[in-house]
Amino acid sequence: MTTAKGAADSRGGFLHWLLQDTMDGLRRRRAILGYLFLLPTLLGIFVFTAGPVFVSFGLSLFRWNIFRPPDYIELANYERLIGDVRIAISFGNTLKFTVLAVATQVSIGLILALAVHRISNTAMRYYFRTTFFLPLLMSGAAVAVVMGYIFHKEFGPLNYYLGLMGVQQIPWKTSADWVMVTIVITSAWRNLGFTFILFIGGLSNISQEVLDAADVDGAQGFRRLWSVTIPLLSPQILFATVTGVIGAIQVFEEPFIMTRGGPGNASRTAVMVMYEHAFKDIEYGYGSAIAVVLFLVIMAFTATQMWMSRRWVFYQ
Amino acid sequence: MSADKKMSRRDLLKLAGVGSAGLVMSGLPVTVVAQDAVTIKVQAHGLDDNQLLPIADLLVAKHPHVSVDWVVLTGIDHEEVAAKILALVAAGESIDVGYAATEATQLFAGQGLAAPLDDRITGDADQDFWTDYFADVHPSLVEAMMYEGSLYEPPRDFNAANMYFNTNTLAENGFDVPGPDWTKDDFVEIARGITKKDDSGNTDVFGYAWINRLWGSWMPWIFVAGGNLYTEERAPGGNWCWDGYYEGDPAVEGRGGGFRWRTPIANSDEVVEALQLVVDLWQEGVTPDIEMGSGATLTGFYATGKLGMTPAGGFWAGRLKNEGMEKGDFDVQLWPAWRNQKHQFGTGGHWLAKGAKAPEEGWEFMKIEVSREGFEASPFFYPVIITTSARRSYSQAANYESTGPANYEVFYDTLDKHPSTSPIPAPPWANPMTTIFTTGTSNAMSGAMSPQDALDQMQSELEALTARQPQYYADN
Repeated sequence: MTTAKGAADSRGGFLHWLLQDTMDGLRRRRAILGYLFLLPTLLGIFVFTAGPVFVSFGLSLFRWNIFRPPDYIELANYERLIGDVRIAISFGNTLKFTVLAVATQVSIGLILALAVHRISNTAMRYYFRTTFFLPLLMSGAAVAVVMGYIFHKEFGPLNYYLGLMGVQQIPWKTSADWVMVTIVITSAWRNLGFTFILFIGGLSNISQEVLDAADVDGAQGFRRLWSVTIPLLSPQILFATVTGVIGAIQVFEEPFIMTRGGPGNASRTAVMVMYEHAFKDIEYGYGSAIAVVLFLVIMAFTATQMWMSRRWVFYQ
Repeated sequence: MSADKKMSRRDLLKLAGVGSAGLVMSGLPVTVVAQDAVTIKVQAHGLDDNQLLPIADLLVAKHPHVSVDWVVLTGIDHEEVAAKILALVAAGESIDVGYAATEATQLFAGQGLAAPLDDRITGDADQDFWTDYFADVHPSLVEAMMYEGSLYEPPRDFNAANMYFNTNTLAENGFDVPGPDWTKDDFVEIARGITKKDDSGNTDVFGYAWINRLWGSWMPWIFVAGGNLYTEERAPGGNWCWDGYYEGDPAVEGRGGGFRWRTPIANSDEVVEALQLVVDLWQEGVTPDIEMGSGATLTGFYATGKLGMTPAGGFWAGRLKNEGMEKGDFDVQLWPAWRNQKHQFGTGGHWLAKGAKAPEEGWEFMKIEVSREGFEASPFFYPVIITTSARRSYSQAANYESTGPANYEVFYDTLDKHPSTSPIPAPPWANPMTTIFTTGTSNAMSGAMSPQDALDQMQSELEALTARQPQYYADN
């Protein structure tokens, strides 16, 4: 048992240790001050980010609809998830969307950045930069609503102009064959600005001396692009791919607003299924189990990308 | 005190005392004990276009200590709004008075979120109010708001699935609005007759269109084909209402304490046949691709003469008026007969939260809303009809004066003249059921599956869903 005197001594000892008029004491005081400044952020992360993640892990082991007491069911939600056809389809759709959307965003973003980087007129360069970046500032929901009208089979302007060129009406949102293409176009159009501006920044940082040296060595045109420019842009490509994959796996707004996951389940994504189970069907435990699996999938993808990046990312 | 009795000195002193006290008190400042201010939280669809404001004004005029806070929730359909209410409650927010249509009535009642109203109604000192109200509301609407014998919402509005016609499109093709005894074959003939295609085979004018949702959609075809998604049973109870307020009314015969939908029958021959009908019309180009949504696109089709017929209720009249259609440009008729002419409806009203912080004031709001005074003040029913009144008295010629349709009697006749009319299936698990229904529908309507395969899948999903539910119905 600690006596009152002992406690006072230990407090005095700590204060003495902290307030020592030495270089070590000064370093300790600075370190503690630093941690104090970090504390609000750490608390915020714990309460608003890490906390809900841990709670989700816990909730996934219960059957709970908020109105009745939670019922501990061990791994039953995960067992149900394995046999749930709609979950399998939605994860498959998400994978398809992720591959198509990230490939589109990165490749077209790169092409546009290369094109705009070559424009010598400053005003025109700013104009294109602003134009390509603007969609990113728009509300995803608003974009999805407008795109929903544009892609309407019978009365959408897109099919109208395609019709003038002799193209038959395309069921953009109502055919299982087309719907994912439509969602990818919508998502890529909005998010292209991010990869574009990232690559513009990367291109601006490539040393002119390196490019001149490549010229001297006879590397021009596509050869210079492939062997010099793209390797030097690889850190930006990695960043765009990693953030793109994380965002794409969580796609929700576009399919939810444009198609409600249809036709059938053709555009139903993992986050949509999670939302439907948790908030529409009030199955918070099952919704949490889907969230946990999604979390693990995102973590696995990101870890794989980071591991593979060692083979192709070149840091100057 | 008799008039001839002489006043004694004691009486005189008493009077003088009382009079003096009165004089002293009259000179004092008047102190009134004010009632504590109470705020009720009421669900509303919007703030700029909040049709409940006149009801709140009436409430505040009667009870100046009450104010109303609006909890604004929107969604493209009832199940989405219901999901938002649930999310709100899950987040710890409170609500005193919520709104639910048939789609979510048993959901809120079954979860214990809404309070039963039986005792409030039967114990109300103003029984004339309730006698007048129930005499004006068809019992099928009341029964649809019951769950396991108790009433959870006094119906304010309803919409039966009737058929709307673009009269100009019909006339251009030599068709008149059919009579109430028209059939499915008449419908198909008209739908095909008014469909117009261009040289490349694309449809310019569609004969018939609908929205992929629970109410409306192809559900009316399921009913008239003789099918349903679930078996339709009745819970016991409700006699407090039928005996107390509908005594002698033949329309209450066979009614119980609300519906029980518990055995899925989604792949019965009748349902397959109904789906096959609408799939055939789509494949012929009579019907456009079917999407989910609020029906805004369909309203546009209709108002621009691109569509001839669609399932809708009284609410469609106001929408078409707002889209610029004039009275006479459209009309309405009962759903056509097939094996029977069993109609469907959905009804709506406000519910009182079980955990309401101001239940008495919330209940007062609900009473005012369904009173005659409330209906007269409500912009839902006049001058531009937004939804069909649950009170017969406010579904009259005057209410449709500015919008039409000419055949407005059809709305209430669907209830009054057709005893088999019943609500859309909406058990306490209506939200996931609706997802399964709309997914299966679009599987067939996009050609991804045959109607039989889509409905077989729907049936197995509904069976699995139903098996997962807790004991919502008392005798399970």
